[in-house]
Amino acid sequence: MSAGILLFVVCSLMCVGGALITILARNPIRGAMGLLGTIIGIAGLFLRLNAQFLAAMQILVYAGAVVILFVFVIMLLGPSAGISEGQGARSRFSRLFSGAALAVFGAFALVFIGRGARHDFTVITPAHGSVEAVGGRLFNEGLVPFELATALLIVAVIGALAVARSKPNAKKKVELENPTLRMFHGPLHPRDAERPLSGDTLSERVQKESV
Amino acid sequence: MEQLTRLFPSSDFTLLALILALPLLGAFANGLFGKRLGKQAVTLIALSALGLAFVASLTGFWMLATAQSAGSAAVEHGHEAVHHVAEAVRFKWTAYNWLELAGSGPGVSPRSLSLDVAFSLDALNATMSLIITGIGFLIHLYSSKYMEDDPSYYRFFAYLNLFIFSMLVLVLGDSLPILFVGWEGVGLCSYLLIGFWFHEDANAAAGKKAFITNRIGDFGLLVAMGLLAYYCGALDWAGINTNSHSLLQPVKIWPVGTDVPIAQALPDTWALAINTPRYVNAATLVGLSLFLGCAGKSAQLPLYVWLPDAMAGPTPVSALIHAATMVTAGVYLVCRLNGIFLLDPLTMFIVALIGALTALFAATIAFVQNDIKKVLAYSTVSQLGFMFLGVGVGAFVAGFFHVMTHAFFKACMFLGAGSVIHAMHARIHGTEQSQDMRNMGGMRKFMPVTFATFGVAWAAIVGFPLTSGFFSKDEILLKAKTSMVTGPVEVVSPNGRVAFDNFVWEPWMGTLLYSIGFCAAIMTAFYMTRLVLGTFFGEFKGWTIVPGWVDPHAAHAGHGHDDHGHDTHAQGHDSHSHADPHHHEEPGPDMQGPTPHESPWQMTLPLVILAFLAAFGGFLNAHPLHLIGLHLTPLENFLEPLFVEATQVVKTVPGSESFEVIGLCLAVLAFCGGAGAAYWMYVVKKGEPARKLAESFPKLHQLVYEKWRVDEFYQEYIIGNLDSLAQMCVWVDKNLVDGILARLSAFLVALSGTVLRQFQTGRLQAYAAVLVLGMGAVGCYVIRPQSSLRIDENHATGKYALQAAPGFGYSYRWDVDGTEGWDADFGDKAEAQFALKADEARTVRVEVQNALGQSSSEEITLVRPRPDLSSGPAGAAPIQATVARGADGKLRGVPGHDPAKLREALEKGAH
Amino acid sequence: MLDLVIENYVLLAGVIFTIGCIGFLIRRNILVQLMSIELMLNSVNLALVAFNRQHTGDMNGQAFAFFIIAVAAAEVAVGLAIVLQFYRLRGTVNSDEAASLRH
Repeated sequence: MSAGILLFVVCSLMCVGGALITILARNPIRGAMGLLGTIIGIAGLFLRLNAQFLAAMQILVYAGAVVILFVFVIMLLGPSAGISEGQGARSRFSRLFSGAALAVFGAFALVFIGRGARHDFTVITPAHGSVEAVGGRLFNEGLVPFELATALLIVAVIGALAVARSKPNAKKKVELENPTLRMFHGPLHPRDAERPLSGDTLSERVQKESV
Repeated sequence: MEQLTRLFPSSDFTLLALILALPLLGAFANGLFGKRLGKQAVTLIALSALGLAFVASLTGFWMLATAQSAGSAAVEHGHEAVHHVAEAVRFKWTAYNWLELAGSGPGVSPRSLSLDVAFSLDALNATMSLIITGIGFLIHLYSSKYMEDDPSYYRFFAYLNLFIFSMLVLVLGDSLPILFVGWEGVGLCSYLLIGFWFHEDANAAAGKKAFITNRIGDFGLLVAMGLLAYYCGALDWAGINTNSHSLLQPVKIWPVGTDVPIAQALPDTWALAINTPRYVNAATLVGLSLFLGCAGKSAQLPLYVWLPDAMAGPTPVSALIHAATMVTAGVYLVCRLNGIFLLDPLTMFIVALIGALTALFAATIAFVQNDIKKVLAYSTVSQLGFMFLGVGVGAFVAGFFHVMTHAFFKACMFLGAGSVIHAMHARIHGTEQSQDMRNMGGMRKFMPVTFATFGVAWAAIVGFPLTSGFFSKDEILLKAKTSMVTGPVEVVSPNGRVAFDNFVWEPWMGTLLYSIGFCAAIMTAFYMTRLVLGTFFGEFKGWTIVPGWVDPHAAHAGHGHDDHGHDTHAQGHDSHSHADPHHHEEPGPDMQGPTPHESPWQMTLPLVILAFLAAFGGFLNAHPLHLIGLHLTPLENFLEPLFVEATQVVKTVPGSESFEVIGLCLAVLAFCGGAGAAYWMYVVKKGEPARKLAESFPKLHQLVYEKWRVDEFYQEYIIGNLDSLAQMCVWVDKNLVDGILARLSAFLVALSGTVLRQFQTGRLQAYAAVLVLGMGAVGCYVIRPQSSLRIDENHATGKYALQAAPGFGYSYRWDVDGTEGWDADFGDKAEAQFALKADEARTVRVEVQNALGQSSSEEITLVRPRPDLSSGPAGAAPIQATVARGADGKLRGVPGHDPAKLREALEKGAH
Repeated sequence: MLDLVIENYVLLAGVIFTIGCIGFLIRRNILVQLMSIELMLNSVNLALVAFNRQHTGDMNGQAFAFFIIAVAAAEVAVGLAIVLQFYRLRGTVNSDEAASLRH
């Protein structure tokens, strides 16, 4: 068993184990640690797949920012971050049903992929997955999406700020009168005064609304 | 001059841009910023824009006149002809090549129709633009005082400038679409200005009426445009003139399509009668459609009804738009497209007849009206009728000359009336009362300038000898009697299959037109004299309408002052003027309130200028003077090149050459008769005969006073019917559309909503579960095995290789050896090879199975063609004759195969 | 069997994705649900990088994975802000409470 295979085995076990911990742990802080494990495992797999740059990104962004953010929020919420699950028959049924359905689906996928032929990876150049290669791709063909991604991040930061800061009780006063009706509410032609076009005329409706 | 010509070459005459841009800029500046700029700035902008436009128009006119006289001098020098008409000079400016249409139609093919934003200046519209900018400027000046106290001062001037711009677009446009833009623009401005004081319902309604009535006319103009585009393939003046001959062909107007469907159910004779094709001349169609547009814009029967109501607008507007310029657009259009009208004598006769009838009809209504502006409005309708009578008999110069003189004297009269109303406002502020002639009288004492100018304009309109109206009206009447329009004897279709006789202009028609026009002229003289007498002479009766006033003579006069009918008029004289004619000049102790007074110079100066023009403008085209050996017709000489065709087509009625002198005498007689009768009736007899007449025919008097109840007729029969139709549509809309379409579909939506609402549980997991189900469904589709084959063919060596598409968990089995049954069981082998002999065909199969046991198969038949050495050099690719039958059983043939070989291959493949 | 074979990586990605999916469905804690989403996104990243390793012509797979990381970061930022706000509104992080829009 070479070192590469060892890396793959360890990392996959770490991923699966971490994922299971994430979804099964009662305490969300444990779940966050499980997520961290998965992320580190996937970073290791990235290394094995010659994606050094992405492995670094994975550690930086996920482990360094996302998981930390989760932990912050969990700490902010304190004990209420963990809730008791599983009250209500209907909700439990739907969850169990969907979980079971998914498990079956996953098993099918395993069979599907596991039974067929095997395809070894192709031989690669040393440049594959280097910062130069990925960066070249990102800053040539992918420049516009890259810039859009930066815009998305800015918007996300501002949006997160706006959502997290706004006071839930500040409600705007709703204007009762309908501006559309107000716009079309004009004097009728004298000729048409006796026979408005429909029983429930515009003016009547406006009157009702203003009352 | 040379510098000007260099600056504005005739093919790119950008001076027109200047003429057009100035009023537009004025409208823009005043409309957007006028409120903040203040009255003085608004006045300055509006007046300077118009003044500069007038100067530019004058420059253009001068350049054109110079060019034209130079041209005609050259022509006369070159030929010995005694009278040779010069080529019409036209300065053109193309602002923008808008679009080029390609299409088909009778005539030249393939055809293209270019629509350019182009403007041109020739004799006709140079004169028109002088009138528009010149009179426009005077009226702007007048309005600066007349509208002084109006809160919407800036809005008024913005509209006025916009109107001038639109009118200039109308006359300067070089094609029918551009003219139409201006045509709609002036309609819009007219609407805006009639309803200028829109807070009163009546004014807004009058604006709407004008707009909608004009729509009917515009419909005709649009139809004419379409027909012209179809038959002439051109919409610009030059193109229309060049191709107008193609309008002389029959057009089937009935039955639409092949035959009338219900005709079969009728007796044979009737069916035959109904199904007989009816043809008209295309020129008639175009001419009448155009004339419908002209009748709308120029207030002819039966679309005249909007013009009297249009007097709801401010008086300067009535003078500018509804007397001098916009309403003459119809006459301008007929003059402009005279080539089309002259093609068909019938159209010309209809134009002339409608004109004559309008002149007479409107004059009868003007007889009994009391509102000073209403009288002038009906007089305008009547005079417009005269213009159409003129152009209808082919006397385009005379008709156009009347446009010009009418602009002078009618603008002068309207402005004078405005001045009177302005003065009356010193006493009364109700619109109706201040315009009522019965409240006026004796105004000449208060406003001498207005009186003098109004008197001059009166002299012109009633045809006082040697005034402008005398010359123009006399010319029209004379031509109506002596002219006849001739056309081709027969109208024949291009293939010669359809032909019908053309309309022939009989001599009695001229006499008929002349008689109607002559009656209208007499009546004009009568009611105009009545107007002047009632307004300016006699005693001022405005004193009676100040609240709190007590008639000092009432005690012994013994009758009250009711404001109904002519008796008030007469009684007014009884009670005041006899006792003490000069008593009321100053408001004495028994007369309270201010007196009417003369208007300021901004209002009187335009009056004086217009009165001068009204008096002496006639000498621009003084035809009758040639009887005393004086040829003074500069206008005709100037315009003649544009109406060359008229000189060929319009003939003189035989035996009427000597009518000129008689006509002149009759014209003077008409003036004397009409004016004298009015003088006798209202001054000598104090209105007694009029009262008696009204009393002896009360019904008739009422009918005429109520304008022959035409409006009521339209209301009852046309608008009423449209209303019924609308009610029907409302019923359909409410019951069918709303009931079935809206209610039923709403019910269905609500029903499905009731069902689907059950799925909106509000639980996130439930939604996610549905999402997962969908994902599973998509996944099932995606993991279906795909059995597409890639074929490597080498016909030369006979080696064929097949490659099946790869996929996760796929296994394959092949049948390529040409025997029954599969070669081997499922395996990893994704490709297969085999060899074929020449001309041999083989059907191969592959089945693909994925990890879940799903499978799909593909079957194709390959044929190796015989190497064909004769078809080309060695090594050339042999013709492929590959046919494939897919898993779906459909055949896929490769192009270029041999049919026989294909059939053979298929037969083999079928085994 | 455990050699560098693409099927292994795709299989692993499938397993993690399925676990994330199940987690999202069976847990009611919004925080855990968000983490499950992260798991799914990560599994997709893994599959993308693995395919990129197989088809080595360009770096498209890794570039896509990079963008997914960026989008995931944005999603977590906004998502957690919403969770906070939701907690202020309802006093819990139970996703069953987010049912104002039910019929």
